[in-house]
Amino acid sequence: MSPNLKKQCRQTLTTDVLSNLPENVIDDILMCLPFQDVARTSILSKKWRYIWCRLPKLMLDETLWTTQKDLRSHNIYFTKIIFNIFTFHSGPITTFTLCIPHSGMCTKIDNLIYFLFRNGIEHLFLRLPTKGKPYKLPSSLFTCLHLKHLILEGCIILPPPSFKGFDKLTSLELRGVKISSELLESLISGCPLLEHLALKISYTLRNVIEINAPNLKSFDGNIRSLCLKPIPLLEKLSLAHWGWYDGANKFCITKFFEFFSALKHLHFSNIITLKFVPAVAGELPTRLPFQLNHVKRLYLFGHCLCKLCEVSYALCLMRSMPYLQYLEIEVNNSVVVAPESHEVEGFSDLTFDHLMEIKLDGFIGRNPQMQLIKLLLAKSPVLVRE
Amino acid sequence: MAEASSSITEKFFLTLKSSDGDEFVLEESIAIQSITIKNMVEDGCSSSVIPLSKVDTETLIKVIEYMKMHSSTSSNEEEIENFDKKFVSNSINTILNILEAANFLDINNLLELCAEAVANRIKNKTPEAVRKIFNITSDFTPEEEAEIRNETPWAFEGNLDHSLD
Repeated sequence: MSPNLKKQCRQTLTTDVLSNLPENVIDDILMCLPFQDVARTSILSKKWRYIWCRLPKLMLDETLWTTQKDLRSHNIYFTKIIFNIFTFHSGPITTFTLCIPHSGMCTKIDNLIYFLFRNGIEHLFLRLPTKGKPYKLPSSLFTCLHLKHLILEGCIILPPPSFKGFDKLTSLELRGVKISSELLESLISGCPLLEHLALKISYTLRNVIEINAPNLKSFDGNIRSLCLKPIPLLEKLSLAHWGWYDGANKFCITKFFEFFSALKHLHFSNIITLKFVPAVAGELPTRLPFQLNHVKRLYLFGHCLCKLCEVSYALCLMRSMPYLQYLEIEVNNSVVVAPESHEVEGFSDLTFDHLMEIKLDGFIGRNPQMQLIKLLLAKSPVLVRE
Repeated sequence: MAEASSSITEKFFLTLKSSDGDEFVLEESIAIQSITIKNMVEDGCSSSVIPLSKVDTETLIKVIEYMKMHSSTSSNEEEIENFDKKFVSNSINTILNILEAANFLDINNLLELCAEAVANRIKNKTPEAVRKIFNITSDFTPEEEAEIRNETPWAFEGNLDHSLD
């Protein structure tokens, strides 16, 4: 901030405009703040005394225990806050965020979840400690049938047998949770309105997960074994650490992309290989047997692109996206390979007629990488930014 | 390209009048980011001047600046981001006025942007600092204050910021 701006910001007001704003605007301001900041407004003046008790959106995060050193006082502290919410809060709570993934405390929030269930929770974000023994979600969570948006981290998901799914859920994100393959599948297929799904589950599930969610618009999968059923509306697909199966344990990329005719954004990171079609008789492929006419943005992260074949695979993929507008590549240079002096072949007729912006990161001048850059620059007539 | 499209879709203009009596002519497609104005246009009340009795000239200029930057025809994401960053560094007085105008005009993005800017001036601050920044007068007795602190002690602990930045 420049000194002038700082001076401007420091200027205090001559009248109390803030307290006289309409109620809904004051609520909008307070809902941007962590809960302890909100609660502290109770002391500003009589007008502010109980405003903090009426907000439909509460957020508790790790800033809560900046003063507490040991775990025991963390827990006492937390219990007191929860008790205060039970005592003072009036009216519905539609959004609740508990974001403490780095905290070491063992959270006991069964009562809190029951309280939220009774107060009409719609958006629930529980990011619990990822270290130590994970917390088992209470059965009351599976009775919150008004839920539209759910994020869970660091917990065990074990719904009661009677659980049929969340009828109204449109967005689900699971990170580092413990759940069996069967339950994960039935949880996803039990949410018929699901539009956004993100799975970040690092351990290997026993079986291939079959994703059956016909209304999905975006899917972010960081999970080992995956089988996607046709998703005609899917616009954003993001895959990482990916071992893909089409159900019969055979890899068939053509069929895979046929399922996603509406795809606009494609994001691959750290996928073992971009090799989508087998090389025929020792020759590298130059063309894929499918077209993705709606893809406008492509992101390739963490691939080494230090071999000519990898560059060829990447170019094949780009060729199948004739309307690509934005390309971002971040290379991973940790793989050491013998230098290659050949030229990439078979792409002289290729042009990127719509590519306007390219962002490249991590290129260290290896021959295949340089060839890729050269080709991109030469074949993109409408490029405006690099 | 621009000429071709303008010949197909005719541009309409609206006149907005501030509480100080100043008039501003603005393209309808830009002005209807305000749901209040959009509703007026749809109800056919926009043929003459639209009076905005709750928005003064200084504030209206800022709001129009914002709407122009955020209209879909111009500016890329990065430009908008930089604009917003600079926009929220306006004085707190100006931000509060814009916030009130955004609420009246029903421009949700602008309301959110300014609400967050105000929230950032409250975040992690001592109650004394918040009172000074926003010119709020406490009408509590010291005993009442002590009672409130006792009620939610966790809200008053920690390294709170005394500064008025």
